[in-house]
Amino acid sequence: MAAAALSAWLTLQPGTRTLRAFCTSVSPATRSAIPSPRTADRRPRYERPLRRKALPPRTEKMTLDQDWPSVYPVAAPFKPSAVPLPIRMGYPIKRGVPMAKEGNLELLKIPNFLHLTPVAIKKHCEALKDFCTEWPAALDSDEKCEKHFPIEVDTTDYVSAGPSIRNPKARVVTLRVKLSSLNLDDHAKKKLIKLVGERYCKTTDVLTIKTDRCPLKRQNYDYALYLLTVLYHESWKTEEWEKDKTEADMEEYVWNNSSSEKNILETLLQMKAAEKNLEVNKEELLATKEVEEYKKSVVSLKNEGDNENTLSQYKESVKKLLNLM
Amino acid sequence: MLKRVTRLVPRACQLDPGHFLHGGPQAPQSLAARLDDQVPDENPRAGSHPSEDDPVRTFNEACLMVRRPALELLRHLDDTNFAHPAVRYVLYGEKGTGKTLSLCHVVHFCAKRDWLIVHVPDAHLWVKSSRGLLRSAYSRRRFDQPVEAANWLKSFKTANERFLSQIKIQETYMWNKRESTEKGRPLGEVVEQGLTRVKNATDAVGIVLKELKSQSCSGAFRLLVAVDGVNALWGRTTLKREDKSLMAPEELALVHSLRKMVRNDWHGGAVVLALSQTGSLFTPRMACLPQELLGKEGFDALDPFVPILVSNYSPEEFESCIQYYLENSWLQHEKAHTEEGKKELLFLSDANPGQLERLCAYL
Repeated sequence: MAAAALSAWLTLQPGTRTLRAFCTSVSPATRSAIPSPRTADRRPRYERPLRRKALPPRTEKMTLDQDWPSVYPVAAPFKPSAVPLPIRMGYPIKRGVPMAKEGNLELLKIPNFLHLTPVAIKKHCEALKDFCTEWPAALDSDEKCEKHFPIEVDTTDYVSAGPSIRNPKARVVTLRVKLSSLNLDDHAKKKLIKLVGERYCKTTDVLTIKTDRCPLKRQNYDYALYLLTVLYHESWKTEEWEKDKTEADMEEYVWNNSSSEKNILETLLQMKAAEKNLEVNKEELLATKEVEEYKKSVVSLKNEGDNENTLSQYKESVKKLLNLM
Repeated sequence: MLKRVTRLVPRACQLDPGHFLHGGPQAPQSLAARLDDQVPDENPRAGSHPSEDDPVRTFNEACLMVRRPALELLRHLDDTNFAHPAVRYVLYGEKGTGKTLSLCHVVHFCAKRDWLIVHVPDAHLWVKSSRGLLRSAYSRRRFDQPVEAANWLKSFKTANERFLSQIKIQETYMWNKRESTEKGRPLGEVVEQGLTRVKNATDAVGIVLKELKSQSCSGAFRLLVAVDGVNALWGRTTLKREDKSLMAPEELALVHSLRKMVRNDWHGGAVVLALSQTGSLFTPRMACLPQELLGKEGFDALDPFVPILVSNYSPEEFESCIQYYLENSWLQHEKAHTEEGKKELLFLSDANPGQLERLCAYL
């Protein structure tokens, strides 16, 4: 029998006492029938050192109000006998359930944060409090913080167990500032946004400068501040070639001197000419309420795109202008 | 608000509603020649497809549902002040909602009132695969399209027979060394010249449009310019020059003259335009709003215009459409006339006219 041969081979190996249970459970009949070669240990059973039975897992001895941070004080792999949760993980086979936690490789592979429960973090904070200074009492709201400290600088320090304390990732410096806290006029703001390109977020009005081109954090920080200064001063200057800005470069639609203005002016002039009313001049025409409304509707149509609102606004204003009501 | 004067007839299921009036006759009078037992002034149809599923022949009538956008337009047209520059109306809406048919309704209305109709059934045809592109004799930079121009001249002639002899041209035009049309001759001669000498057809079209524009100001007639698929005029083309580079629409003489026509620097009429995504080149399928289809250039050229939204059927319109089908026994399914069947059709087609027509074609 293959089982008997296997058990014979296994008993020949030293230190395979655990598998003796396997042999006895698998083929008791064959074992008694076929005499297998005995192990070297011929002591009677009561003299052999007793193998310890497997103890019940630690979870059964855990109370509900135990101190969890002492069970998992540091980042450790998942120990099914030490975690009292009935977790299952794995892809279930048909008509089955995910595998239980005992011997589950999937639970071992993933990172766990059992060492960072809220209680543990509270303890860390308590320990760190001795090293902190107090928050200034005057800065008790977000607006005050922003008003007095508009620039936010983010840096990261890395600590790891290893031969060297240096980490190249530690040199990255991120500088964030809201453009509303800078003193910029309309032209300067548009020029700045064009200069920085992707680094500006329109929805939050935040300019983010991330530098990592210098080897040290201090150098990167200086460079980021230098960039901010240069951007600010450059955006205030107006160069010669900025006069050539065409309509395609404009960020938003500007009504004055646009073709829409010309069109409407021509139309109105023709209408007035038809009514033999030649004394009106351009400024008067443009200053009427209907033209104002029309201008607003065209600007919103171009800037926001087409939607029901803008289109119906436009329709109403055109109808009023052309006296179609 | 739904006058049951005329009722809707859907197009055959194979055709796209956008490609409706595909190079066919565009005006009431021409229809009488094509369709049998016709009431003389029915709306324009594309009778160029003699298939059995042509509902015009099936129903022996061409019917049109009177709907709100068209009524609004007609009201405005009635109130037009002909001394003011021509107002431009743009019909827009999703695919299959009835823009082209509303345009046809307006054309029919104006034809009944004796306006002169300049109708371009689908401007997309002029910028797509056309054979026989020639260098224009009139302007070195532009290109002629003799085939399309000749087709259009033919339909223009059938549509406006009466006016062709009345209107006299105001300048002498030299076609070549031997032929010319003198000042004071009727416009019909220019059209004839274009039809017989196909090489000059595009120039003939340009002349016709120019004359009509300048003479409508005098008040002898009312001019209606109706263009379907007007976004083709400012879009892109798929036509290539000799060196295989793509052409811009401005380089086509037909497009150039039509663009001049839809400007509002003339008075004595109106301009009704319909946008169309089906058939347009290089536009996304879901685009249906004016700015998306016209682009910046087109919008600036047409500004200021009155945009008119054509939407899906309202409940009453849907009811009347189903009633029409049932009365003409178009719907053969036994559950079609039940309430459940109607609700199912409403759900499946979402009250979209084009979709409903396609669905009912199977029933």
